[in-house]
Formats: sequence, C-alpha cells, structure tokens
Amino acid sequence: MSEALPTSEREPEILPFGVLLAGWVVPGLGHLLLRRWGRALVFALLVLILAGTGVALRGHIFPASARAPFDFLGFLADAGTGVLYLLVDRVDNGGPDTSRAAGDYGTRFFATAGVLNLLCALDAFEIARRRKT
Amino acid sequence: MPTLNLTHFQSMTLFALVISVAFALLNKRTLKERLWYGLTTFLAFLGVAVAVGWLMYFLAR
Repeated sequence: MSEALPTSEREPEILPFGVLLAGWVVPGLGHLLLRRWGRALVFALLVLILAGTGVALRGHIFPASARAPFDFLGFLADAGTGVLYLLVDRVDNGGPDTSRAAGDYGTRFFATAGVLNLLCALDAFEIARRRKT
Repeated sequence: MPTLNLTHFQSMTLFALVISVAFALLNKRTLKERLWYGLTTFLAFLGVAVAVGWLMYFLAR
C-alpha cells in the first residue's frame, strides 16, 4: 500500500506538451520545469554557444518570408532556437557575410543550434511523458 | 557585438565538441558511458572530416 507524499515532495504536474513548448521557446526551460537542473544548464549553454558563434561568425539567418524550399528549411531550423531567433535581429554584427568561409559556417552553426534545441525540447517531452504514464 | 573569424579546423573542432557533449547527454545515462561516448563521437567527427579532406585532396589532383 502506497502512502501519499506530502505536497512539497510530489513531482509537479506538468503537461508534456507544455514542456515541449517551453523547451522550444527558451532553451533549457523544458528540463528546468522538470527540475533537471544539470541537463537544463548544459543544454541551454550548448545552444547558446552554437547560436552565439553563428551570429559572431556573421552567418545568414533565414527570414520567415523565405519562399525557396531550401531557404524555408533553413528558416525552420533557425526558428528552432525559439526566442533567440527573435533576439538575433537586435544584434549588431555588421550583417551576414557569407562571402567568407567563416560566414558560411556561421549559417550552419545557427541552424544547428535550432535543431539541437528542438532535440532537447523533445528529450524533455519524453521525460515528462514517461513520468506521466 | 564582436565578430569571430575562425579557421576551418577551429570551426570543425568547436562544432564537434558541442555536438558530442549534446549527443552523450541525450543518449547515455551513466557518467562513464557519457564520457566514453562523447570522446569517441568527438574523435570520430574529427577523424572522418580529416579522412574525407585527404580523399578530396587526392581526387582533385
């Protein structure tokens, strides 16, 4: 027979899709809501390092208005960074410069940050789902 | 914001390092498994890139 835990010791009741959304919008927030402090910190740092390096290398950030299929895929990857995608417009780095190899790498770094953030959000979603079931 | 100008090798190494750490955390549970997986993934990234680089060098001649 199981005893009911005191309110303070119970796991927080969080919807898996809420965790997924939170993890996508703010890198690491999904794990933070699940009290996975270490994972939250490391994933947030990794996404920030990739996105920050991408911007510092003056990579191209694909706009939401992209019409060409590959540009649209690029936008989807970039949008994976969540709030960082919205903040990147405010950063003054002299604009994108893909005439150099470094700028081209910057484009890939930022897109990878987005895909990695989505992977981390899915990881948080899986943890929340397992906990719920 | 300060801009960076990394070489090909520096970019590749940074990319490999970040992705290896992320994969190790996502895929493995214990610290020992994570360290081993992260290290082998990192070395595999670098090794394959250098091998493909040499292959392209010889194919281009």
